[in-house]
Amino acid sequence: MNRETIVGTSAPRVDVRDKATGQALYAADIDLPGMLYGKVVRCWEHAHARVVRLDLSAAAKSPGVVRVLGPQDVTANRYNSSVLDLMVSEQMHDMLGDIEDQRIFTDHVKFQGDAICGIIAKSEEAAERAAAKVIVEYEPLPVYLTADASKQPDAIRFTPEKPGNLAFQLPEPMFPGHALGGGDVEAAMRDADLVVEDVFYVPKQKQCQMEPHAYIAKLDSTGRLNCWTSSQMPKLVQAKLAKLFGLPMSLVKVTPTVIGGGFGTRLGLISEPQACAMAMSVPGHAVKLLTLREEDWVISPSRHPGKYWMKIGFRKDGTPLACDARFENYKGGYYLDASGTAFTAGAWLGGMYKFPALRYKGESYFTNQGLTGAYRGYGNPQTNFVLEQLIDRACAQMGADPVEWRKQWHKGVGDDGWCPGVTYPSCALDECLDRGAAAIGWSEKRRQYAHQSGTVRRGVGVAVMNHTSGAMPMLLEHTACTVKLNEDATAEILFACSDMGQGSHTALKQIAAETLGFPFDHVQLSSGTSDVAGFDIGAHASRTIYVGGAAVKKACEDVRRQLLERAGRHLQVSPDELDIRDKRIFVKADPARAIEAETITRAGVYHFIDPATGQAGGEPGQIQGYVSFFAPHNSPPFGASFAEVEVDTETGEVRVLELVNAHDIGRAINPAAVEGQLEGGIQQGLGFVLSEEMYYDGNGRILNNSFTDYKMFGPSDMPKITTILVEDPDPVGPFGAKSVGESGLVSPVGAVANAIFNAIGIQFTEAPITPEKVLKGILEQGVRDYGSIGGAH
Amino acid sequence: MSSRILPDFELLLPQSVPEAVELLAAHRDRITVMAGGTDVMVAMKFAQSPAQLPDYLMSLEHVPGLAYVLFDPDKGLRIGAKATIAELLAQAEVKQHYRALWNAARTFATVQVRNTATVLGNLLRASPAGDCSCAIYAIGGTVALQGPAGRREVDIDDFWLSYGVTARRPDELAVELILPPPAAGSRCAFKRMTRTNEDLAKLNVAVRLEMAGNTCVDARLAMGCVAPTPLRLTKTETLLKGRELTAEVLQSVAASVPWEIDPIDDKRSTAEYRRQVSGVLLKRAIQEACGAA
Repeated sequence: MNRETIVGTSAPRVDVRDKATGQALYAADIDLPGMLYGKVVRCWEHAHARVVRLDLSAAAKSPGVVRVLGPQDVTANRYNSSVLDLMVSEQMHDMLGDIEDQRIFTDHVKFQGDAICGIIAKSEEAAERAAAKVIVEYEPLPVYLTADASKQPDAIRFTPEKPGNLAFQLPEPMFPGHALGGGDVEAAMRDADLVVEDVFYVPKQKQCQMEPHAYIAKLDSTGRLNCWTSSQMPKLVQAKLAKLFGLPMSLVKVTPTVIGGGFGTRLGLISEPQACAMAMSVPGHAVKLLTLREEDWVISPSRHPGKYWMKIGFRKDGTPLACDARFENYKGGYYLDASGTAFTAGAWLGGMYKFPALRYKGESYFTNQGLTGAYRGYGNPQTNFVLEQLIDRACAQMGADPVEWRKQWHKGVGDDGWCPGVTYPSCALDECLDRGAAAIGWSEKRRQYAHQSGTVRRGVGVAVMNHTSGAMPMLLEHTACTVKLNEDATAEILFACSDMGQGSHTALKQIAAETLGFPFDHVQLSSGTSDVAGFDIGAHASRTIYVGGAAVKKACEDVRRQLLERAGRHLQVSPDELDIRDKRIFVKADPARAIEAETITRAGVYHFIDPATGQAGGEPGQIQGYVSFFAPHNSPPFGASFAEVEVDTETGEVRVLELVNAHDIGRAINPAAVEGQLEGGIQQGLGFVLSEEMYYDGNGRILNNSFTDYKMFGPSDMPKITTILVEDPDPVGPFGAKSVGESGLVSPVGAVANAIFNAIGIQFTEAPITPEKVLKGILEQGVRDYGSIGGAH
Repeated sequence: MSSRILPDFELLLPQSVPEAVELLAAHRDRITVMAGGTDVMVAMKFAQSPAQLPDYLMSLEHVPGLAYVLFDPDKGLRIGAKATIAELLAQAEVKQHYRALWNAARTFATVQVRNTATVLGNLLRASPAGDCSCAIYAIGGTVALQGPAGRREVDIDDFWLSYGVTARRPDELAVELILPPPAAGSRCAFKRMTRTNEDLAKLNVAVRLEMAGNTCVDARLAMGCVAPTPLRLTKTETLLKGRELTAEVLQSVAASVPWEIDPIDDKRSTAEYRRQVSGVLLKRAIQEACGAA
C-alpha cells in the first residue's frame, strides 16, 4: 500500500481556471507602454533562391514605420535554433558535427518562409502595410524536396560544412560503419528462415499547438535584453540569445509566458532572434512580434519525414535473429536537431526487441522543405509505423499471435534500453499487453475477424513501444530547484522548467507537498524568470516529472531535513524518529509529542529576543532547500496499444472504433493528468497514421499550412478510448514515476496500421493511410482474409 | 499567406432591398455582397492581389425581411437571402420534406459557421464543393434575383455558369430561393465524403427520386467536387428513369458515374479516387433515399 496522501490523487490542474476563463496571459496578450510592432518579411515565392536585390526604401517611408532592418542591420552571427548543441559536451558536439547555419535575416532562401528582413512600426497594421512595400528580387535555385534529390553530386550545397547535403549521419567513432547496434547482421540474416523487408514513407506531421508563436522583446535602460517567450526551454533560450548577440547572460533576461501547447515545436528558439534583433534597434521600446497561423506552420519545426527501410530475419519458431534498418530523413533547409531524430529513431528500435544482431543507420539530408525538429515522440512514431507492421507481417506468415510474440521477445528488466549499457530498471509491458488485450477482447475478435465477408471488414491490431524519461546519458540532464519556506510554513518552489499544459506543475506541486508533509495549497511552484530560476534544460524528452520531479523532491527533502533537525532539538529526539503530516511534526512512536512546522518557521524568520529572559525563542534562519540535480537514469516507460478498426472496402475509408492505450508509467503522480496525456497522444498518433501530412508543390511551396487544408482528428472523429495505467513503481523515478508526456502517441500508430492489416489483409507502407491509398491497395491486391495469410490463425 | 488586417474597403449598409439594388447598379463589379460573411471575410484575408479585392463591401445586415424559411405544402419552401444554415435546420418541415437539404445542412462546416453562413451564400459562392448547393441542385428550384428592371427567377439548372460564377448579373441581388413543394413518392438523400468530420467535401452527392412502388419515374442526381461547378448527372439519370431499382440497375448506374464526371487532384483528394468512389457514393445515396421513404 502506498502511504502517500497527495501523490496519486487527481489534484485539479493549477493552470486550468485561468485558461478556461480566458485569464491566462499569453505573450500575445501582454501589452507594454509605448510598445511597437514587428513584422518579419518572409520569402513566400520560393523555397530555394538567392536574394539579388533588397530595397527597403519604400517600406521605410510607409506611414507608422519606425525602423526597417535588412541583413546588414543585425548581427552577422549565425545560430542553431535547436538546443541539442548545448546539451552535449564540446567533443561530442564536434563528433556529431553540429553546426550553426541560421541567420536572423538571410540572402540565401533555403525554405519557403525564410526570413528576409524586418519592419518595426507603431501598429501591427502599419508594419504589415510596410512589409508589402518591401521589394525583393530573387534568383530562383533548383528545389530539392527529398534526400534523393539533394544528395545528387551536382546539387547546390546548403552549407559548406556538409558535403553531399548530408546534414548528419551516425558518427563513425561512436557508431562503427555509421550504424547503431551490434552483432553480425549479414550472417544472422543468412540463418533466417523468414525475412520480411520493405521501404516505408513516414509523414511530415505538424504539432498544431493552439497558440501561434508570439514574442515581446525590449532593450531596457540598463542595457539588458528582455525577451518574453513561451519557449519550452527558457533557460536555454537565455543562453542562446546571449551567445547570438554577444552579451553576458546577466544582460539577457527571459520571462517565460503561458504556453499554449508545445509538443516539441517550442524546443529552443523560433523567432526570438528576430524579435530581439528588432528590439535592439529601438532601445527603450518593447517590440511585439506575432505570427500568423500559416506563418507559424512553416517557420517552426515539424516532425521529420523520410524514407525508412527495414529488414528483419526470424527463425521458423519465431526467434528474431537480426534487424537491419536505414532511416533517411528529409530535413528542412537548416540543420537544427539533425542529429537527434536520426539517432533516436534507431535507439527506440534497439530498445524494443531482443534482436541478437542489429544495424541501424540514420541519416539527415537537407531539403527545401520547411524546418524539421522535435515533435512529441521524436523519431519513435516513425519507427513504430515501420517496425510494428513488419513484426505483424512476420507473425502472420509464421502463424504467431502478435500479442504472444511480443510478450516473448520484447526487452525487459536488465536488458539494454534505448542506450546501450543503460539497462531497464523496470518493465511492466506484459501486464500492459494482458490488460490491453482483455480490454479490447483480443482473442475473440482475432478469431472472429480471421474470416469475414461483405464490404465492411473489421480488424484489431496491437503495437508496443518503449520511450524514455529524460535523455540521460545522451544529453545533459541537469536541473536546479530552490525551495523557500515562508514564516507561516508555506513553501515557494522555483523550478525553471515550463508547464506546457500537460499538468506538470500540478504534479510537481503534489510531489513537493507530499515530500514536505504540507497541504497541496500550501505549496507554490513557479518557473520564475531567468533572473531568479536556476539552471534547467527545459520541458522535453518526457523529463519534467521524472527528472524535474526528482529534483523538486530532493530540494524538498533538504527543507524537510532542516525542519526535522530543528524539531528534533526542540523535542529532544533524533530527526529520524520524526515525521510530518499536515504541517505537524511529531514523534512517530508517540504522536502526541509534536511541534507545528509554523512554530519553527516563524521563529526562524521573526527571531526576537524576549526582554524578560534575554533569550531568543527557537532557532534563527529562514529555511531554504536547494538542489542541482543530475538524473542518474532514464527509466523508460513501455506501452501497448490496441486498435479496432472498420474498413469500408468500397471506399477505402477507415473508421477507428476503439483504441486502448495501456501504459507502464511506473506510478501515476496525478492519474487524471496521466490519462489526459495518453488520450492526447492517441489523437496525435491517429493523425500520424491516418490523416496528417504536410505536403508541397513541385517548387517546395506548402499546400496545406492551415486547419482548412491540414486535417487532424477533431473531437467527433475520435474513437472510444480506454486508458489503462499499469503501476509498477520504478526503483529510480520519484515515487516510482516514469514518463508519460510523449509515449501515448507512439504505439497507436502501429496498432491502427496492424488493425487495418487484420481487417483486409493488406499492409500500407506510406503514412498517413488515407482512403485513397487503402482503396488503391484493395483494387490492386484484393481484400484478403487475414486467416488465409501464411500460417496465420 | 493571409493577413491579420482586412484591406481597405468602403462598407455599404443599405436599409432595404431597393436601396441595395440601387447600390449594386451604381457600383456593379466593384461591389461584393455579404450576408453571413463566412466566405467573404476569408477571401479578403487571403486575397493574393489588390485586383481580387472589392472596393465596396455591401452588408445585408440592415436589410429587413430576408431572414425567413417559409414552408407551404402547396407552394414549397422559400428561403430568404439572410436565412442561415442554423435557421434552416430549425425548421421541422425541412427535415420532413427536404431531407437531402437538411442532411447537407446538418454536416455543413461547423456549428459556429452554421450560425452565420447563409443558404443562399452557399449557392452564390458557386463552389463545386458546396454541400447545400449539391442538395438543392438535386431537389431543383429557382433563385429569385431582384434587379433595377424588376424580379426574375433563374432555374437552379441554369444558375452556375463556371467556377465562382453564377447567372446573377452585377446589378442584381439574390433575394430568395424557392424549392418545389413535396410530391407524393418523392424521395431524396444527400451523402458526402470528407477527410475528417469537420471538413469541406472531397465528394458529395444528392439524389431526388420520384418513385412509383419500386420503379423510378424520374430522377435528379447531383454531384459535387467533380467539375468546376456542381454537376447534374443527366446521362446517369436516364439509366434510372422508368426502371425498377434492382441490384443490376443500381450497378449500371454506379458504373456510369465515372464517365460523366471530370474531377481533379487537389488538397482533399485525387481525381482517380473521386472516379473510383463516385458510383459507390451515388448508389448509397439512392439506397438511402429509397430506404428512408
